[in-house]
Amino acid sequence: MAYVNALTALADPTRRAVFERLRRGPASVGEVASGLPVSRPAVSQHLKALKLAGLVAGRPEGARRVYYIDPNGLGELRRWLDQFWETALESFETEVEKPRTPKRRKKP
Amino acid sequence: MSATISIAPVRKSVVVQATPEKAFAVFTGGINRWWPKSHGIGASPIKESIIEPFVGGRWYTPCEDGTEAVVGHVRIWEPGKRFVMSWEISAEWKPDSRVQFASEVEVRFVADGAGRTRVELEHRNFERMGAAAGEKMRSGVDGGWPGLLELFAKEASGAVRA
Repeated sequence: MAYVNALTALADPTRRAVFERLRRGPASVGEVASGLPVSRPAVSQHLKALKLAGLVAGRPEGARRVYYIDPNGLGELRRWLDQFWETALESFETEVEKPRTPKRRKKP
Repeated sequence: MSATISIAPVRKSVVVQATPEKAFAVFTGGINRWWPKSHGIGASPIKESIIEPFVGGRWYTPCEDGTEAVVGHVRIWEPGKRFVMSWEISAEWKPDSRVQFASEVEVRFVADGAGRTRVELEHRNFERMGAAAGEKMRSGVDGGWPGLLELFAKEASGAVRA
């Protein structure tokens, strides 16, 4: 499931820092690396992992390539949880609005 | 690294024809009457759902095979208003008692006029689940979890396990 890949990818603290950097806006490998105590090749690797997890996407911008957060990356997890809670709340609604039942009768 | 990633919370709400007090009571004390049996996390189907009504109390589900699965613990308990629970379930939808990896669920009950209540649910702090998922991946404890996920996905969409 894609959402587990996403969660797993974010579990690495350095990778989280790379991801966090992209929250400020699209950036190239060099720009990400300059703000972190991490080499360019390492940043490239982390970006690759984030891309595989669907969290980050890249596009050419002139001569360079910039990376940005893919807003759908955690969509899988969200859709899943959305559905989970929706079903639960529907069920709750039905129960809480049930007319008060008369005293319970014993089933024959 | 000080960077923190927060994954946006899942928010859901429903307006019900009941007072906040009643809605709270049915949601918590009456959870066994409405919590979908398909929404289980234990190894065996849910027999019952119970929330213990105090801070530190458990939300747990006795299962048909006699075991119990703990969903989480009460962190804030304000009857008629709101409660907050830890959600001690891992990314692969299994109980995980390591509370540092738990996400959190808050349910608020807001009066909405004419005897109605808006029930606002917020499930947040998913990034903590990520830390656990990552740790599990690294330690390679459980190679079988993608399969489990499939199972959970099926269960969540209502399919009945054979």
